[in-house]
This record gives sequence, C-alpha cells and structure tokens, in this order.
Amino acid sequence: MIDIAITGIGVMSPLGVGRKAFWENCRRAKTGIKKITSFDTSSLRSNIAGWVEDFDPRQFMSPGVYRRMSRISRMAVASSVEAMKDSGLILDSIDRERIAVIMGTSYGSSSHVEDFYISLLKDGPRGAQPFLFPETVPNAPASHIAMFHGITGPNTTFCQNEISAENAILYAQNLLLQNQVNIALVGGADELSAILYSCYNAVGALKKIKVENDELVNPKPGDGLILGEGAGVLVMERLDFALERNAKIYGILRSGVITGGITSVGHYEVEGEQMARAMSLAMKKANINPDEIDQINVSANFSGELDRMEYNQLKKIFRKPTKDLSVTPLKYLIGDFGGAGVIRAAAILLSLYHQLPLPTVSIEMLKAEPQCSLEWNLHSIDKTQVALMTTTTFGGGSTSFIFTKDGSSLKSVANS
Amino acid sequence: MNKNTAKRVVVTGLGIITAIGESTPTFQKALFNGECGIGPVSLFDTTGFPCEVAAQVKIKDLKTFFGATGIKRVSRCDLLGLIATHEALLDSDLESERCSQKDIGVVLGGGAGGMLSWEKFRRTSWLKKTKARPSPLLSIAQCTLTDLIASRYRLIGSRATISTACSSSATSIGYGFDLIRSGVHEIVITGGSESLSELTFAGFNALRLMDPEYCRPFDKSRRGLSLGEGAAILILESYESAEHRGATMYAEVLGYATNSDAFHMTSPDPEAMGMSRAMTKALGTANVSIDQVDYINAHGTATKINDQVETKAIKRVFGEKGARALAISSTKSMVGHCLGAAGAIEAVATVLALSKQVIPPTIHLENSDPDCDLDYVPNNSRTQEIHIALNNSFAFGGNNTSVVFGRGQAQKKKIKSWE
Repeated sequence: MIDIAITGIGVMSPLGVGRKAFWENCRRAKTGIKKITSFDTSSLRSNIAGWVEDFDPRQFMSPGVYRRMSRISRMAVASSVEAMKDSGLILDSIDRERIAVIMGTSYGSSSHVEDFYISLLKDGPRGAQPFLFPETVPNAPASHIAMFHGITGPNTTFCQNEISAENAILYAQNLLLQNQVNIALVGGADELSAILYSCYNAVGALKKIKVENDELVNPKPGDGLILGEGAGVLVMERLDFALERNAKIYGILRSGVITGGITSVGHYEVEGEQMARAMSLAMKKANINPDEIDQINVSANFSGELDRMEYNQLKKIFRKPTKDLSVTPLKYLIGDFGGAGVIRAAAILLSLYHQLPLPTVSIEMLKAEPQCSLEWNLHSIDKTQVALMTTTTFGGGSTSFIFTKDGSSLKSVANS
Repeated sequence: MNKNTAKRVVVTGLGIITAIGESTPTFQKALFNGECGIGPVSLFDTTGFPCEVAAQVKIKDLKTFFGATGIKRVSRCDLLGLIATHEALLDSDLESERCSQKDIGVVLGGGAGGMLSWEKFRRTSWLKKTKARPSPLLSIAQCTLTDLIASRYRLIGSRATISTACSSSATSIGYGFDLIRSGVHEIVITGGSESLSELTFAGFNALRLMDPEYCRPFDKSRRGLSLGEGAAILILESYESAEHRGATMYAEVLGYATNSDAFHMTSPDPEAMGMSRAMTKALGTANVSIDQVDYINAHGTATKINDQVETKAIKRVFGEKGARALAISSTKSMVGHCLGAAGAIEAVATVLALSKQVIPPTIHLENSDPDCDLDYVPNNSRTQEIHIALNNSFAFGGNNTSVVFGRGQAQKKKIKSWE
C-alpha cells in the first residue's frame, strides 16, 4: 500500500486565522460560533454562525492580487499560501505540472451570485456587472490558487454538500496513488453570506437562536444546524516523495472511502447504514481494528438528525459502554459548511503531530436530548496514533478516513 | 497504477436531451444532419440583452416524461438530467432492480445547477410584492442531480459532483474512468446537466462573449458563443462486466487529463500551453500516439480567442501537417454551449461518431479564418473511418480537460429508442 503524507497545513477558520491560532483555540475548545455582524439578521430566526474574524488578506497577498476575489477565494488562497510555506516546498525546483489543486465547496461564492443577480435586477440586461460574474463559478478559489502559485497540474473542484472537501481529499488521493502527481494542494472552503444564510433560514434548516451581544455561544445539540465558513488547505504528497525531500510530516492518510446513502433532498440517510459501511471499509482498507482508534472525529452539526445517527452507528461499531466513548464534533465549534472536512482533518493532523489530543465530548451528547448541555473535555498528555474521521451529508453520502501518525510501511516517521 | 493490471473502460449506455434532439436517436439524426437548435428563449425574458437567443430544449412540459403524475419539486436542470439518466440506464439494460444490487458510482459534472429555481425565489423576494416560496431552494446545490439519481436508483457507491464550469462533465467522465480502472467500481454513471438561467445568460452577455445571432465556431466572422442547455449521461463500465452481461460497447474510454492554465479567470493562455498539454497528457495516459487520432470534438465555443488558441494548441500537439490531417468539429454550433453539461454532450457526440463512423459537422462555417485554418468539417457531416477521437473541454479559471475515446469492440445491438 502506498501511504500519503500530509506535509503542510493552512487554515482560515472561525477558531482563528492561521494554523497556530486555530490549533490553540482548538485545544481549548474555544467556540468560533458567535453573533453575525457582517450582515443584517434582524428579520431572520437566527443570528449566529461560525465565522472567520479578523481575516486580513494583506497578510498573505497584495491588494492587487485579491482585489477582484470573493471572500471565499481570498480565504482559500490565504490558506494555500500558509500551507505551501509550511510544507517547505520550493516551487521553482519542482515540476508544477506534477502538482494538483483540488478543492471542495458547497456553493462557491454565494455572495457574488447574489451581487451579480441583484445588479441584473436593479440595472437591467445592460447593467449587470461583468467583473462579478467570473467569481460565481465554484472553481474560482481553485483557479486563483493555481494562478497565485503558477501550478499547472490537475485542477478540480467538488461540490457535494457537506462532503465536498472530503470528495476533494478522495480525488487527490486517487491522483497521488495513480502517480499522476507528486503533490496535491487539497482544500475546502466556503463563505458565509447574507443570501446563503437567509436561504437556510427560509427552508427552516437553521437552529433558532438569537443572541443579543457578543457573548460566547454554547448552544445545545439538536433542532437545526449552525452554519459556518472558513478555508483550509493541506499539502498532500506520496510518502516516498516526502521522505526523499526530508519533509516535516504531520501524519499519514491511510485510507479513504465514500459510500452513498439513500435519502430525499435536504435530508440525511435515515438509519446510517451507509455511514457505518464507510467507516468499516475505511478501517478494513487501513488494516485497523476499532480497538486501535484513539480519536473519533464526527460530523455532528447540531441538526440532531445527523448527530443521533452518528451516535447510533458509532455505538454499534465500537461496542464500548457509552461512558468510555468520546468523540470530537468540531462543527460544534466552527459551524457547518462543505469545506469543513479539510479543517477537521487539519485538527486531526495537528493532534497527531503534536501528540496532543483534541477536545472531546461524551458520545451521549450526540443524542441531542433536550436536557443536555454541551460540555467539552480537555485532555493534557495522551499518545494519539490513529484517528477516524467520519462525515455524512444531507442528500446522501458518507465518507470515512483513517489518519495515523506513522506510515504502514514504517515503524516511525521522524517528528522533526 | 500498473497499466497491465488496470481495467479497460467502455461506454455501455447513452442518454441525452438537447435543443436538437430529446433522445439519443433523435439527437444523432439532428447531429449528423447539422441542425441548429439556437433560437428564442421562453424560460425568461431576454429582451434588452445584446444577445437574446439560446439553444433551449423545445419540450414544453418536461415533467410529462415521467408519466402523468410527473416528478415534483425538481429544478429544470435536475429534470433534464433525470431524463437523460433514465434513457442511459434503459439503453445499457441497467434499469430498476438489477441496478440496485450493484455497487454503482455516480459522478457528474455540474454547472449552475438549480440556479433558475433560485432566481425565481430571489426575484420574488426582491420585488417584495408576494412572499417567496422557499421550496425551490432545496435544489440549489450543484450536487442535487447526483443525489437524486443515486436515490432514485438506490445506488450506494461513490458519489461526486465536479464543478469546474465548462469542463465539469468532461472531468466527471475522467473520474468515472479512474474509479473503474482502479477497481473501485464496475459501473459508474457519468455526465452532467445544465439548464439555461438568467445568471449565466446575463453573465456571458455582460462579458460580451455572445453572438447576437448564432455562434459560428472557427468562422472568420464569429462574434462569440451561444448558450445552450441539456443533459447527457454516459454509463461507463469495465470491459469484463460489459462482456459478461453482453452489453453494447459504444466506445472505449482510453484516457484523460485535466490541468490548469494558471493564467487568467476568463481568458485562455494565448500561447495555448495549458490546452496543448492537456491533449498531450490525455494521449499519454491513453497510450495513443498522435498519428492514431482521427477526430477531435473541439471545445470550439466561437469566441474570437478560444477558436484561435484551440487551433494553435492542436497544431502544437499534432504538428502543422498532423493537425491538417485531422477532422475537427464543434458541435456547439448546433446545441450551443451547455456549460456544465457541454463536456458530456460532446462526449456523446464523439461516441456516436465512433460508433456510427460519421463525423458531425461544424455548422454556420462560411468564411475561412487564417487563424483557424484546419479541417473543421464545415456544414455537412462526413462518413469516414475513425478509430480514435479526442474530446476537448476548456473552462473558466483556465481548467482544461481532454478525454480520449476509442472505437468500441463489439456492436451487439442497435440503440434502443426512448419508448
């Protein structure tokens, strides 16, 4: 089996701008969910989201570069800049055609879709703003990353609701395993916009919470999801390539699996059979038993529907008393969006690299019972070797990944 | 992957709906006859735009395709896609029960998805005269069609929706090819769907990329593209599986490549490096030499720059002499530019060309352009022996995808009609 190493991480998240801030707040389980200030929510039934505060694109690129970019493209390019720098790759010394840029996003730049369409409604057929239109395509962030770094290899964007970024990881894995490329920049990104938020509000998908001030929000699981935004980019490469260049290795992607759940539009698979099948297949592919898994990263998003399904299936797979089973629902801290998978993977990889566990909640929390209140457990020293990341989306579809500290063919990977 | 152990991938089912034909047989007839589907648009008001026409699917009530009760609450884009999928599955003998038991993947390319539905909601809420019904919002995600197909046919395999603008559905064929070749699936449903929307119509108009009359690819007087809509689905299957169940093999998928110009959001690299490298790499993965290629289904949008640069790219790959020996056509001259579905629609045209040994024409090509001086099969289709064909799709953001098809091994049955 060929392992894939992750050698660079860039994150623009509700938990902080940049890898360091993200990791620190992640460890403390500091929530990134807060009152929305960037648009008017007075007519809506909710006013909170996980959104990225203090993001300044100038820290990553010049104004001339980001001038025409949407928020999602800016965050995506910024993440790629941080990840590339972190990886130590020197682009001038490698074949840029052997590098892929693969992204996942739910909707791309919804703000540009809105602004362009409103310009048409307001100003008529000859008044629509041409410079807004190119950013409406969901592949704009991936194209900007390619243009920024001059990367001419495969460039693809996946839109698959809440498993968009996971789809990107799977496709990148496929390109690396087929030896089509040596390196893949794999990202997930979404932007919070007034239009997207109001659409989710209109279909009744949002958790109904309104807060007054800037207080910390600690909602209870259940009764609707909380939207989020952010971007993350991972530098993935074939382990042999990474070892040859003596790269810093965060961890190894040992296996990835996708299955399709059968459901209706806007809903989750009812029982979660396909979610369980994805987890079982991912473990089987990686040759890992449930007993060997130190960390379970779940996709629970406050909706209740998904949270409870994860509870039911994980209990079956892990066969432990529930008091001994804890999970990390990172979307409880950053909100829910299609690109979140890469940010969750970044948290896992930072945890494997630093050998420090992520905060957890008791699996009981996922039952989303009315009397529960969200309590995070912080852990100090613990050795984490193997992590499982499961994601399920509305509309159907589940992915499962196994990340390990060490490669399957190596006893230990240098922790430089 | 070891090329010796990689599985061969064949096309065993086709489904298509476009402005010139609403099933494979009717599309094929119109394609080879060189019919033009570009005309007035009734889906929304196009008055006042520099270009007011497009290639709209002509059927008035698409929902009747699924019987009197029809299918409710799906966007036009998804409906077009479901119609094409139904035909493709029927064509490949994969309908209903037999379908559900297998681990089949669904990998599609998306464009604007349910944008037309979103626009109705948005216009109503913006006007503030009546309350906008939120139900159309459920289908705004590009992946809705992928999910609908998987649910309808109870498919539990891989599921992915690629959204790279005009190359989306071409790349979906590539990913489907990967999934079969590497042994993940025996069968993958690939392709894509696109419906006309105000957003894309206004967008291309605002960029002044549309011909007010009709597009004329490679013609000296070309003034831009014509938008179109439609859906095309190709059932990809491992050769072993197809042979085992005696399926028709319309063509073989031999390889593909995607890459990025890394140059500009809306303009191709004038040196054609990205396009030419995509073609070269696709031929490389297909293990095909340049002199084996007989036909190219070009991206051929009819914008000034695309056709010139694509011609340059073809010459770069095949050499001046080699390029002149090729038959090249732009089927967009008939069906318009169907954006997210374009790659799949053109793949079906390419597969039909290989299967029937007829090269579809580039229509509206009257005046030769010194910058576009190759054989574009002007105005009339041509019966010719072809073995290997290349299908080009280039997109916003500098995304390039080329797919290589080979002639199918066996022709066991004729294409079934929709009924």
